[in-house]
Amino acid sequence: MDFPSSLPPSLFTTGPLGLSDVPDVSFMCSWRDALTLPESLPQGSENTAPHVAKGLLWEPDTPGPLPLLPPGPDPWDPGVTAQDLLFRGGYQFRRQPQAVLDVSEQLSRFLWDHGDIAFAPLGKLMLENFKLEGARSRSKKKTVVSVKRLLQDLGGHQPWGCPWAYLSHRQRRFSILGGPILSTSVASLLGELLHEELALRWEQLLLDDAFTGGALAWVPGRTPGSGQLVYPAGGALDRLYFQKVNLTPGSEPRVLGGPGHIRLRGPVRQVVTRTVQGEGKAHRHLPCPLTDLLPDSDPDPDPLHPSALLAVRSDYHCALWKVSKQGQPAPLQVLQVEKGATGISLSPHLPGELAICSRSGAICLWTPQDGLQQIYKDPETLVFRDPSPWRWADFTAHPRVLTVGDRTGVKMVDTQGPQGCGLLLFRGGAEASCQKGERVLLTQYLGECGPECLHPTLHLICTQFSLYLVDERLPLVPLLKWNHDLPSAPLLARLLPPPRTGLPRPLLLAGQGGELQLLHIAGEGASTPRLAGPPQSLPSRSDSLSAFAPLEPKSQWRLQERLTAPAIGLAAAIPPSANTPVLSLFQLSAAGDVFHQGLHLQADPGPDSPAPTASWTPQATASCSRWLKALLEVPPAPPVWAAPTFSHRRLLGCFEPQKAESKAPEGLRTAMAKGRLLQLRDLGLLPTEERAPAPEPGPEDELSERLEAAWEGQAAAWWERRRGSSLGPGKQPKRHKRRTQLSNTFSSLSGRLDLSDAASPPPSPERTLPAARPQPPVTPPSQESTQELWARAVPSERQQTLRDYMAELPLQGDAPGGASVPSSQTSSVRATPSRQRAAVRSGSQPHCKKPRMGF
Amino acid sequence: MSDFSEELIRPTTEDEQGEPRAPSGTGMCFPWLQKHIETIATGGKQEKDFAQTTSACLSLIQEALLKHQWQRAAEYMHSYFQILEDSDSNKRQIAPEIIWRLGSEILYYHPKSSVETFNTFADRMKNIGVMNYLKISLQHALYLLHHGMLEDANRNLSQAETWRYGEKSSSQEVLINLIQAYKGLLQYYIWSKKKMELSQLDEDDYAYNTASQNMLNHSWKTSINLCALIQIPGVWDPFVKSYVEMLEFYGDQDGAREVLTNYAYDEKFPSNPNAHIYLYNFLKREKAPREKLISVLKILYQIVPSHKLMLEFHRLLRKSENEEHHKLGLEVLFGVLDFAGCTKNITAWKYLAKYLRQTLMGSHLAWVQEEWNSRKNWWPSFHFSYFLAKSDWKEDKALACEKALVAGLLLGKGCRYFRNISKQDHQVLKKKIKQMKKSVKKYSIVNPGL
Repeated sequence: MDFPSSLPPSLFTTGPLGLSDVPDVSFMCSWRDALTLPESLPQGSENTAPHVAKGLLWEPDTPGPLPLLPPGPDPWDPGVTAQDLLFRGGYQFRRQPQAVLDVSEQLSRFLWDHGDIAFAPLGKLMLENFKLEGARSRSKKKTVVSVKRLLQDLGGHQPWGCPWAYLSHRQRRFSILGGPILSTSVASLLGELLHEELALRWEQLLLDDAFTGGALAWVPGRTPGSGQLVYPAGGALDRLYFQKVNLTPGSEPRVLGGPGHIRLRGPVRQVVTRTVQGEGKAHRHLPCPLTDLLPDSDPDPDPLHPSALLAVRSDYHCALWKVSKQGQPAPLQVLQVEKGATGISLSPHLPGELAICSRSGAICLWTPQDGLQQIYKDPETLVFRDPSPWRWADFTAHPRVLTVGDRTGVKMVDTQGPQGCGLLLFRGGAEASCQKGERVLLTQYLGECGPECLHPTLHLICTQFSLYLVDERLPLVPLLKWNHDLPSAPLLARLLPPPRTGLPRPLLLAGQGGELQLLHIAGEGASTPRLAGPPQSLPSRSDSLSAFAPLEPKSQWRLQERLTAPAIGLAAAIPPSANTPVLSLFQLSAAGDVFHQGLHLQADPGPDSPAPTASWTPQATASCSRWLKALLEVPPAPPVWAAPTFSHRRLLGCFEPQKAESKAPEGLRTAMAKGRLLQLRDLGLLPTEERAPAPEPGPEDELSERLEAAWEGQAAAWWERRRGSSLGPGKQPKRHKRRTQLSNTFSSLSGRLDLSDAASPPPSPERTLPAARPQPPVTPPSQESTQELWARAVPSERQQTLRDYMAELPLQGDAPGGASVPSSQTSSVRATPSRQRAAVRSGSQPHCKKPRMGF
Repeated sequence: MSDFSEELIRPTTEDEQGEPRAPSGTGMCFPWLQKHIETIATGGKQEKDFAQTTSACLSLIQEALLKHQWQRAAEYMHSYFQILEDSDSNKRQIAPEIIWRLGSEILYYHPKSSVETFNTFADRMKNIGVMNYLKISLQHALYLLHHGMLEDANRNLSQAETWRYGEKSSSQEVLINLIQAYKGLLQYYIWSKKKMELSQLDEDDYAYNTASQNMLNHSWKTSINLCALIQIPGVWDPFVKSYVEMLEFYGDQDGAREVLTNYAYDEKFPSNPNAHIYLYNFLKREKAPREKLISVLKILYQIVPSHKLMLEFHRLLRKSENEEHHKLGLEVLFGVLDFAGCTKNITAWKYLAKYLRQTLMGSHLAWVQEEWNSRKNWWPSFHFSYFLAKSDWKEDKALACEKALVAGLLLGKGCRYFRNISKQDHQVLKKKIKQMKKSVKKYSIVNPGL
């Protein structure tokens, strides 16, 4: 093998991360990588035009990736966010961002929401101190509390942060009695566990390394343009899908038939594939036919129709699958990893050989015939101490040498040598000019695609800041370092074969957040590997939002959430094409969606030609809307647990069914009984007739128009109309007019929301919510107009119904002067369990008709 | 504060801050931490508007660069200069470096930029803040060198060489050494040009003397420039190469040998295969004894057993009288063929086939077995699979024959690779195949004695 005859100059210093006082001249500019020192200057070089490596540019066919397959039937829950975990109050801008876990809020929420779990065991212990029935306590013991009275006293109060909570002597006694036990035992037992869990979740949110390497694989098929996508989907990502896809340059890939799927016992975290029997040139050095592994396989392998091996990693299991020439998958062997597997890789040299990493720090070589062979085990990390149990292993140019990686470095280990020794290939330290806090996130052997155009000894190492290329023949000194600046962890990388002979090889890098970058790596034979041209960013899934028609906020949010789901898989294929090289890029999101992006190489990037921007084709938007329709049909993920709201069923009993009533109250009652939204058609009236007249519909009153349309469920149509009309001759209303309109609509909006009048009960907690948000101080409309508006907005028969309905709503108790309900309290009201609600109701029903509150 | 600029804080400035970065319990630093914290930011002291706009501008520039929109990036860059007036001294300090990094990249790729524009930009940037003068000068010179403007690059480096600021820190010293070395390299380029001219001149010519005098001067200057840097641990291939070439030209063989030996054997240096290759090539030119050459290549063999010089090493070992060397010669050949990049190397296979037969004929079966034992469980599928037999025969019949002989010797005549090749019917190779069959029958290690 050739070794670069002259390596780029670089300093070599040893030491820990980011402590050395050595200038980092290895990479100040990315363009520096394009500069290679000439061996000796050719004659008359002063006059030659500077050869500037103008970058290769891949143009996306569409502004963003398109969904390839309809969304799965399972709802998807995005999981916890930073908002759920971090302390929200008193945020101070700091140069060094600091995250504070909010244990106390979580704990108090838990105590509120799961009071039965938190307190029941204690309650049982304290059973003798409670008197559950009977009006009066006969015992003289001061340690016995009557529960009935206690509950009565408790009822009507919202002790959570309520400044007006009134404490009876019984409560006081109870709190003195129970306080020491209740406060310490629950909090201390739970608090610790909770803190641990929150810290774990927070770390996972910052870096979820489970999907390192990616769970999407492209298995090439019989013909050059065909193949199979292998990926997990389903709510728990526990179903392995095999989807046949046909790629044709210049058009969207064709999905052939429905995907076949196999249900596994755990979530799939990583899928690695490798063709065996040398398909094409790229795999010619993959030798052995699977006949050695499988008794039933064809003894006469046809090199044109390769079969493929699949390595699948789950949390605690690893499996080897075989995909036959016909595309039929069959499991070969499954392995249980007790401590949890963190990485799996398939040998590019010997078919069926795998490297498996376990959280315990052990790296094993695994072949279906010979079983497991532990080749390395060290619970400690390589270079310095790091708590992460993440381990990674990959192959090298020597089939018996593996790389073993953890967060601190990468080591080359000879599987035949004595255990534990080896040479460090990469050190998180001054050798690679690493920064403080820099850690290895991914290592990958890049020589697997054949020795044709890049040194087969190269390894890619990604950290949260940079990307390194290291040659295993020159350990510790990175040949290339580039600052990728990805806003999330780069856990996926794919090196592709050159799109055309003579071109450098594209390297795809994807962050967990779905950001994609494409680099070109050149350098073969005696030259050093380097970046060919400036790197490029590719559209991410969130760029596709513009292809979807606007939606009502809730659905829009759901769509957005779905599009920004973390990326857990990346695969690419270069279908054969006649002229311009094309690239098919597949992405898998954590929601189980597969997106496709077509790219083509810009023919000749002229010096002045502005990059043409792709636009959505009608087919693209059509397929997006089909996908969206299917997505919205999927019921949203049911919350794992939700705080109980007041039970309307209880209220139903209070109604005296009046026979003579019209259809409307009945509809209302059935809607309440079923717990769904009351819609106009439930009242048995035609919606068109029922439509509330818009309050003072001004000629330009866009917002009310839109709200009206939304009320009728035709927001999309309205938007279309609106867009169409705005394309016409532009009307530029004056600014002040706009503002008055805005305030008009605002006042009309608040008029609608405020259902109160002298006779109506105070706003329900549900209703106060929008008002409780910070708003500009709008001068409230006069009472008459409010009433008028409200009266006009609601048909007369419904007014009565609503009044009845409101009258039955639980009230704010005796909150004195509850003129303004703080939002925190409002939410707490919503979260109050129904038992207490009932008590409130019985206690406060007589004063239904309260003086009007709010405004 | 943007993460980008965070990254650029050098360890020294970090220490000055006195605020260690301990973002998470693991000690790991997350550039995306700020983003998460921003999502929950409610109230409290916010970042200043100024800081917000500059960091937004920075991310717009980065986005434009990644989309190759140089024009747009340049426009944003124009606005980004305001960061130089930031009231935050820390930011102000690192700003020039960011501006240089992004600005030079824009100017490097921008279709309308010229060398003049770049020069102006670089000269301005050198004098904004004192910390970056040397680095920018160095990169500016590299840019000029890349554009073929040797004189300008040389002038630039000479200016930078004499620049001093405050107490001479170790990092400054290293940079100055680097600058001097690059200057030396430039002089080497000029020197080698002159050498070329000289070779075209007649020795009796009057001009010859002046020219050679010129060259002498250059060499003297260069040696001063180059030798300081190559004492510092690092990878200095181009410098060492040019320095040695000049030393050799002037007959300072000892000096050259010392430089190369140092470069190859100093333990503080990374194990650079090129250092040993240069030394070997030098010794070969010097016609050093075989023993010496072997000892150099032995070390290279330990570092890079897949290097193409290993075949030469094998030839040297084969010619040696030492029995140990003969054994090593076999080991080297096996070692080369272990690597994925060398599986199609016909010379290596030819050598192995020949040498294997020779070794077995010399009744050194133990040597072969020793090598084979560690390989017998994976070489068959790595080299001698049925599939490879077919594809090798299709692609390169000579290679297939060599491999078949090795396969037959190591695995016996029952081996699939050997069987497949030996039953091939080929006019030209008929004799060879027949010979191969005979050798296998006679010497295969599988059935010794038969």
